[in-house]
Formats: sequence, structure tokens, C-alpha cells
Amino acid sequence: MWNTIFPYLLSGISVGGQYALIAIGYTMVYGILRLINFAHGDVFMVAGIVMVYLAASGLPLYVTIPLVLVITAAIGFLIERVAYKPLRSAPRMSVMISAIGVSYTLQNLVLYITGGLNKQYPTIPWISDSVTIGSATTKLVTVITPVLTIVLVVALVLLINKTKIGMAMRAVSKDFETSQLMGIKINSVISVTFVTGSFLAAVGSVLYFTNYPTVIQTSGAMPGLKAFVAAVFGGIGSIPGAVIGAFIIGIMENIIKGLDVILFKAGVISKPLGLATFSDAFTFALLIIILVVKPTGLFGEKATDKV
Amino acid sequence: MSETVLQIEHLTMQFGGVVAVYDLSMEIRQGEIIALIGPNGAGKTTAFNCVTGVYEPTNGQVIFQGETIARSHPYGKMRKIYAGSEADAYLNGSVRLSPDRITRLGIARTFQNIRLFSGMTVFENVLTAMHLRRRSNFFTAALHLNRAEEKAMQQRAAELLEVVGLTDVSGELATSLPYGKQRLLEIARALATEPKLLLLDEPAAGMNPQETEELSAFICRIKEHFNLSIFVIEHHMNLVMAISDRIYVIDFGKLIAEGTPAEIQNNPAVIEAYLGGGEE
Amino acid sequence: MAAKGKDGREKNRRGAVITWVIIALIYVGVFVAEQLLPPTSMLFTVLKKGATYALVAVSMNLLNGFTGIFSLGQAGFMLIGAYVFAIFTIPVEVRGSVYQYFDGGLVQFTLPVPVAMVLSGLAAAFFAFLIGLPVLRLKSDYLAIATLGFAEIIRAIFQWNQLGPVTNGSNMLRLFPKFNDFNITDAQGNVIVYLSTLVPFLITGLCIGLIVLLLHSGYGRALRAIRDDEIAAEAMGINLAHHKQLAFCISSFFAGVGGAMLAMYQTTVQAKSFTTAMTYEILLIVVIGGIGSVTGSVLSSFLFVACSEWWLRFLDEQQVIGDFQVPLLRNGFRLVVFSIIIMVVVLFFRRGIMGTRELPDLFRPRRKEAALK
Repeated sequence: MWNTIFPYLLSGISVGGQYALIAIGYTMVYGILRLINFAHGDVFMVAGIVMVYLAASGLPLYVTIPLVLVITAAIGFLIERVAYKPLRSAPRMSVMISAIGVSYTLQNLVLYITGGLNKQYPTIPWISDSVTIGSATTKLVTVITPVLTIVLVVALVLLINKTKIGMAMRAVSKDFETSQLMGIKINSVISVTFVTGSFLAAVGSVLYFTNYPTVIQTSGAMPGLKAFVAAVFGGIGSIPGAVIGAFIIGIMENIIKGLDVILFKAGVISKPLGLATFSDAFTFALLIIILVVKPTGLFGEKATDKV
Repeated sequence: MSETVLQIEHLTMQFGGVVAVYDLSMEIRQGEIIALIGPNGAGKTTAFNCVTGVYEPTNGQVIFQGETIARSHPYGKMRKIYAGSEADAYLNGSVRLSPDRITRLGIARTFQNIRLFSGMTVFENVLTAMHLRRRSNFFTAALHLNRAEEKAMQQRAAELLEVVGLTDVSGELATSLPYGKQRLLEIARALATEPKLLLLDEPAAGMNPQETEELSAFICRIKEHFNLSIFVIEHHMNLVMAISDRIYVIDFGKLIAEGTPAEIQNNPAVIEAYLGGGEE
Repeated sequence: MAAKGKDGREKNRRGAVITWVIIALIYVGVFVAEQLLPPTSMLFTVLKKGATYALVAVSMNLLNGFTGIFSLGQAGFMLIGAYVFAIFTIPVEVRGSVYQYFDGGLVQFTLPVPVAMVLSGLAAAFFAFLIGLPVLRLKSDYLAIATLGFAEIIRAIFQWNQLGPVTNGSNMLRLFPKFNDFNITDAQGNVIVYLSTLVPFLITGLCIGLIVLLLHSGYGRALRAIRDDEIAAEAMGINLAHHKQLAFCISSFFAGVGGAMLAMYQTTVQAKSFTTAMTYEILLIVVIGGIGSVTGSVLSSFLFVACSEWWLRFLDEQQVIGDFQVPLLRNGFRLVVFSIIIMVVVLFFRRGIMGTRELPDLFRPRRKEAALK
């Protein structure tokens, strides 16, 4: 029984870590701008495409990987400046529509550049090596992801709690207008948020596409949405919440993918039910349930409207 | 003595550690104009919001024409930090009617920070507020088979605009009106719901003395015309003293005085609250 | 719609008359063009798909523009509509070949097309009712993401193999009636009267007409009141939950009918094509047309479809003028141009083509507009 579940659990933890890295970008942006950055999943996908093209240019890995991180962060910065900053005083719906527009634009740009073909993600040595743990044979990246995720999250939490810019971020997310009056440079805080979020998404993309080795313009949509659900599940605006939410969703999703096999081997069912179809749908069902039962998520704060 | 329209009993509203209204009890009788006054932040609007169902009070109950529209008691953490004298009085049978139910029972209100329907004309704003009294069902209304009713509603809306003197601007966007007229439109809109009790939240805010005086006369006029009871929050003392039958004064959420305008004017506690209490 | 009061309405008789004339001319034009031009003309593809999208866009505008509910579930409701239509209209004799993996499927009868279309709408509205109960209490962006998630759930359910006898699993549904079947033919199968474009126009016209009637009724005003200010609307006795639910179900009903039309246009239905991207596309159409304008949504649907299917097609092909090879032009460039146009509209022309104006407002006597300013 355990031997059947274990491989799914392992890949769940790994995917969970990758979702967590994306989810942090959502939750930080939402914390500050109250905006669902629908384009964030596509930034993650673009990071994958950038890697594909950089690797094809023949540069060594110790150049390409840092370059991917920098370029992705720059893209995040640009998106904020071009598509969100001009709408700072606009209604929330306009900004959300702009985010959807950016998502559409990024997907179409990549479609144009790649010709709509699946691109093979370069193999990164060492982390692509196979390892066997208990009953599961997997790539080393599966084991590295959760560890790296935790390290990055701890670093991020330190950044937010100990540095001046981190303090500014917390102030802005508490009260946008007041912190502006207190002399905090709102725009640079927002830029830092986007840069950090995109940087982490780029790290996530390197790990993710090592496991799912093709990239196409729509590759970012699903992981993006799931990471967002993870952020909501954990309580949007809360970084630890987003990380825990992401791990839960990653694990559940992979268990459901293997549910047919697990149930079959346990003797509960005699023929496959095709439950794997619901691995994506499950995430959204979870979202709707959490929104209805506890709209603030696991660790979210409650706000009262003033009349 | 005429019958009681609105009865507020031991109303307390607490936001986290802030007690906005504390143990407020008051009564409004048929045909009265009652004013609730107090310094800024005294909890006047919060009291309104509890009566109209926007907030769920921490403790206390509100009865409108014999029907309980809100009743609650502190629970959970609130119960521990709550220091009310009547904490156990409303333990059973919490009641919380939604704002639209309360409006349908016959309480209408205006807003301190004007909340007109910005995408609509003056005329449509009034018409929209009649929606709750319509008799036609969704299908006849949506297919425009209720011509007679719609016509009657339009006629009444025109009458109401006539009463508040906005007939000449009925086709304009509500938000394009000057401030004073927007306040009048809010009153017209509230009247369109056919209320028995009208709650006015600072109706004279931003008006000059001339306009304020006109407003005083106007409030008395609509009270007679529509057979209303009126509950008003106001800062303009001239207006309050001119129209009120009785006045309640609150400070830091607590009731500090009640009485006729003459009594309130000479009440030392009120004078202290408004002018500050010397050395402290 | 700016002045709909008693006096306002009388003043704009002119606008109403001109509007009716324009609408009549369009229908006559479509009918005549269809008899004269070859049926393979690109024009008809655009008109058929445009009519379908127009209905869906207006139904989305009813929610996003007129009620202020930011919903992203449109593709899900279209999917329900398309499937219900297809399932109940495939002729019994061909069910065996369509449901080849499921022994011809469970449903062994066929409904007439109009009945099936109404059923499509009702099914979508029913699902909207179920999902609306919990979801409509949520605030703007949470609602958006919840409805989007709902559409994804629907997509998964319809692809589930266990439901194969009804939905054909992840396989395609086909051989149900299509727009071309509306043409009137003689005994030899030759077309006498072409109606394959006029009928979708009539369906869309009827549905949008109903939506416009609703918007101009007391209920329409209540919905707009909710959009403008929820708290004030509630204080005026408008039951928020009830009215939002109503708008959600009606919007979904018409999205379902739109889904049925899309099925007829495409001639095949497959759950995997009703993606989030489809919802985004419709949302962008609504934005380009103007959030809160029925006319805008209709115009921009046809523009959008015409550009993507026809006028901008050349952007996707390499062009050589003399010896000069035009740079950039190759597969996918059209969509890039599209994206840029959309971003420009979103960032700089937020009101879209029409803002909140409608067709009759364009013919309002000038003096009135000057007086307003």
C-alpha cells in the first residue's frame, strides 16, 4: 500500500514546492496591490522559453541559469510598469482586465516566436540524474525542490521581516495610502515585489520544466492557476500560507492522479474509473469550498468594510 | 401618547477593542423628529448602521413597530472582553434581518457620504428605489408587460422629484448635481421606498445657513406630507434645535443626555462634551 | 440610456426610429447577400461566428457590465449549452457511429432544434443556480477566480470516461444539426433559399432583444443599482443575493444558447476546446466594445471575428512584394497584433468603442448633449 502511494506523494511534494515558488508571487502582489496578477503563470512559462532559447545559443549552464532569473525578473518589472502602473487609480476590474490582457499578450508572443510548437527543455545535469528512494525512482530535482523552496522562503521571510524594504512592503500591504503619505516610495516597493515574485517563479520554472520537459505557450496557465488557488487556500497575502497551501495542493493533486492505481491495488475498485481526469478539477473544487467556508483562507486576515 | 415606532435597547457595537456604541437605549414615537447628536466619532453613524442591518450589533436589540429587527449577544472572544451590564439579556434567539428586509419593513435611510447610483439619472435613482414595492413578477416586468404599474411608478417618481424640487434636473446624471441637490435626491430616493421611519445621516452637511434653514422647513414638511417619524444625525445645531421633538446626545459611544431642545441646550454634560472639559 | 426618464424617452424618438431602421436594413442585407454571394464566401463565416460571439459577449456584459459581477465562467456555461444541444439533437440512426466506444450512448431519442436550444439554456442556467448559491457571496476577484475554477471543473466532468454513455467522454460529438441545415432545399438537395446566416442572426437578435428588454425594466435598474453601489442598493430594499442570482442565471442561460450556436457553427463539440482562454477572449471582446454597452459588445464581436478570421489573416502568411520580403509576417503574428491592440484599448481607451452608450444615443439630437455639459 505504502509503496504504491509513496511515488505519488514524492512527486506531489516536488510539484507542491514548484507551485509554492509561483504562489509567493501571487500572494505578495495581492497583498500589496489587491490584484490577481493573472499574467504571473505566463511569466513562469516565459522563463521556461527564455531558458530554451538561451540553452540553444550554446552558453554554458552557469551563465544561462542566472541569466534566466535576471531576464524573468526584468520581465516582471516591465509588466508592472507598462500594464499596471498606469491604472493605479482605476477601478479594480480594469486592472484585472489588464492582467488578463498581459496574459493573452505573453501567450501570443511566445506562440509567434516558437511557432506554437512544443519546445524541448534543456537537460540540466546533476538535478536530472535519477535517484531511487524506497519504492520510487525519480529525478534528483524531485528531492531538491522542497529543500530549495524552504530555503528560499526562509530567505524571503527574513528579507521581509529584517530589511528596510521589507518593512516598507509590510507597511504598504497594511495601508496603501497612509504609507504613501509616510514617504514610502510606493512604486519602488511595488517593483521590488514584482521582481521578487518573478525571480521565484523563474526558479520554479527551472525545477518544474526539468520534470515536465516541454514548454509551449499554454504551459504556464494551469500551474499559474493552481498556484493562485494555493495562495488563496493559505490565506492570500500570507507567505507561509501560500507555501503550505501549495504543498497541500501539489500532494492532493498527485494522489488523485494515482488514485485509480492506488484504489485498484488496495482492492477497492475492480476497474479503473478514470479519476485522474479530476486532478485539475479537484484543485478548483477545493478553491470553491475554501472560499465559501473560510474566504480568508487558512492564515488570512479579515477586513471590515466601512460604510 | 402615540405608539412607539422604533425601540433601541442596550445597543452595543464593538469593533475588536474599540467600543463604538455602548449600551445605547432610545425610543422614537410615531410622528416625532428625534435627533442623535454628538462630537465626531461619537458612534452616531454606527448606531444607524445597526438599526438598518449593515452591522450586526455586539449586544442589544432593535424593535421596529413591534417586530424585532436585530437582536444579538456577545459570543466567543467578544463575550469575555465584553463588559456590558445586560450581557445575558439577549442570549436566546439572535435576530439579524438583512438591510433590504429592514427597508421593506419601512425604514429608509440616507448616507453621510452620499451614495447615489452614479451611472443613472436623477429620475432613475428614484425609480430604482421603488423596485421593492413592485407587484409584478420577474417575467412580466422583464418583458415589459406591466405597463400600468411602470407608469404609476414613473408618475410617483415625478411627484417625489416635484416635492424635493428636482424636476428640472430629472434627466441628468445623479452625480453631476451640486452637493446640496444630491442630498435632496438621497432623501427623495429614500422616500420612494415608502418608509414609515426615515433615517437622515447628516442631511445638512456641506450646506450653507440659507440652505440649512430651507432644509429644516423641508424636513418638517415631508414629515407631515408622508406621515413619517424621523431620526436624524446632525451637526448643525440650528437645524437640530429647530426641528427636533427630543434629542439624544452621545459621546464616545455612551448616552450622556436626552431631552427636549431646551433641556439639552442647558445640560452641563453636553456643554462639556462639545467644548471640552477643561484640565484633564 | 443616459436619459431614460419620461421626458428623456420622448426626446429620443429619433434615435429609436433610426436604430430600428438600421437593424431592419442589416437583416435584409444579410438575407439578400446570402442569396447572391457564393455560400463559401468568408463573409458568411464571419457573420455566423460573429452572431454567436455577439450573444455570448452580451450575456457576459449583462453580468460584468450591468450588474458589476466579475464572472469568468462563460466558457463553462457555453460548454454545457453546446453539449446539451449536441446530445439531444444527434439523429438516432447515427448515434452508433458517434458513440462508437459507448454502444451508441444512453440517449436514444432526438429533440427538435428549437427545443434543444432552450434546453441548452435551461441546463446552463440550472448549473449557474447551483454554483451561484455559494459563489455569488464572494467579492470581486474571488468571484472571478471561483467562476473560472467552476468552468474548469465542468470541463473535467464532461471529459470523464464514466459519463461516456451521455457525453461521449473525451471524444468528439458530431453529426448534429448545423447552421447549413437551415437552408431550404428541393427534392434533389439543391438549395432554393439560403437561411444558414439569417437564422443565427435571428436567434441572436431575439436573445439580445430579450436581454435589452430586461435591462430597461425595473429589474434592469435594480441590477445597475447593484453595480453602482451595493450598499445603497441594499438600503433601497434590493435583495442582493436574489438579484445577483437572477442575473447570473439569465446570463448563463444565454451563454448556454450561445454554446448551442457555437456547436452548430463548429459542427463538432469537444470539451477540451472550452478553455479559460475562450472566456478571456470573450471578456476582451466585451472590453473592446465597452463594458456596459450592448451595442458595443455586438459591434466588437463582429470586428473581432472579422479580424481574426478574415481581415488580418494576411499577417499570418509571408508576403513578398516584388523582391521585398515583408519582415515579421508569419504564423502567429496576427495574434501578436491583436494582443497589442487589446492592450492599447485596455490602457488608453478604457471606455472601449462605445463606452456605456447604445445605438440610439448616437442619434440623440445634438442640443441635448451640449446642455448636459
